[in-house]
Amino acid sequence: MSESANLNAPVGGSEWTPVPLLEEIKGHGRVWGDLASQYGVENPDPPWKTSLEGMCDVLAEGQCALPPLERRWEEDEMSESIYKDVPFPERQLLALAHSLIKRGLVSEADLASRMKQVHDRLAAA
Amino acid sequence: MSHDKTHHATIATGKGDPQCFKGTAGPAKFKVGDRVRIKNLPDIFYTRTMTYTRGAVGEVAVVTHESPAPEDEAWGHVDHSEWFYIVRFRQKDLWPEYPENFPNDTLQTEFSERWLESA
Amino acid sequence: MSNDHDHDHGHGHRPPAPMVEEISDFEALEIAVRELSIEKGLFTAEDHRRFTEFAEHIGPTPAARMVAKAWLDPEYKKLCLTDAIKASFAVGVDWLNPTGFGTPSDYTDLRVLEDTPARHHVVVCTLCSCYPRPILGFQPEWYRTPNYRRRLVRWPRQVLAEFGLQVPPEVEIRVEDSNQKCRFIVMPVRPAGTEGWTEDQLTEIVTRDCLIGVALPKPGKTSNIKLPVHRAVNPVHH
Repeated sequence: MSESANLNAPVGGSEWTPVPLLEEIKGHGRVWGDLASQYGVENPDPPWKTSLEGMCDVLAEGQCALPPLERRWEEDEMSESIYKDVPFPERQLLALAHSLIKRGLVSEADLASRMKQVHDRLAAA
Repeated sequence: MSHDKTHHATIATGKGDPQCFKGTAGPAKFKVGDRVRIKNLPDIFYTRTMTYTRGAVGEVAVVTHESPAPEDEAWGHVDHSEWFYIVRFRQKDLWPEYPENFPNDTLQTEFSERWLESA
Repeated sequence: MSNDHDHDHGHGHRPPAPMVEEISDFEALEIAVRELSIEKGLFTAEDHRRFTEFAEHIGPTPAARMVAKAWLDPEYKKLCLTDAIKASFAVGVDWLNPTGFGTPSDYTDLRVLEDTPARHHVVVCTLCSCYPRPILGFQPEWYRTPNYRRRLVRWPRQVLAEFGLQVPPEVEIRVEDSNQKCRFIVMPVRPAGTEGWTEDQLTEIVTRDCLIGVALPKPGKTSNIKLPVHRAVNPVHH
């Protein structure tokens, strides 16, 4: 079996323990492909994609808390394991949240409660 | 806002990155056409020199720009700059089983000077 | 953050554009991550907005137009090959945006790879998926996958064949692994059947796939490849 090109990511030790909140979203969240076809919207990307990319860029500035190469390598690993069947860009969003939680930059509990507030806020609008 | 981000904005605004490091690396050790070998330096953690190129011999195709090496830049050490080079390899020199019926295929990728030695 | 999925222009005789009427968990997660990050000081709302606006304005047309212009104007072509950052201004792209010194992942050193009848270029970033976003927009999903990144450098002809591109064996395939600060687009050979075409007509056939190097421009071909959603793991073979 031929070896594929080594991607230079640090090897060994990255076991991806699922985060319950993110597993819940992964399992029950509606991905853009489904939403767009249900409502007949042609845009290939969800409306939050540019904001997600904005976050990835702004987190990469200076001596940041989440260096871009590490973030991408973690995203690669999660894309081949716990988020393997999640389409893009939902997968990129879950991986970003996971990387932030893993580093203690945001907490799962805070995210869960903020998501509830967001749902309530937008439902009332 | 970190000191590093402000400092970078100060030196790079209006110029860009890597342009802001122009003139900081001294003379380039290699020139277009030089045959070079990729050193197999020990990785501390962070490198942009691809494993599949280590030990390979190629030719300098382009002398691109001066910049801190990524190994230093990742830790915020931006006081030292190096010249960067795009080095071109024959695919058959990179992969032992590369098919012989595609003899002209090449691959090129970029290295900072510390990774290169004359071949 | 605005909740506009689409908007009605209100001209009266046009039905409103379809809108997604529900908030998905993913949308709520994105908002939650962003708000908490700002509250914790990971970034400011203003910095985030600046990069989001950048993301909203980039696309592949400027790079396509750069190639079309180069095909029509030998002097501009020379500029593309010697100072592509300067040549970018002519297609409306200033690589110093949006910060005044570029973005942290695109930098400001664009290089144009000129195809010839004897040489075809294709671009990859094995490390992470670096891409010339200011002039080409966002990477397609397949470009980001380890599947493409691992395999293109070693089996370029197999991977190109999967994109429907067969290159004669004597033609040099030159893979560019963009692993540092330089960013690359491919300038394909102008195809036959385009004699007398306008810049607009030529721009239309220089697709994003052509600018990466996984397709060649052809009269009538104006769209990019659509790869299946579920990525099968292709067995590797010579």
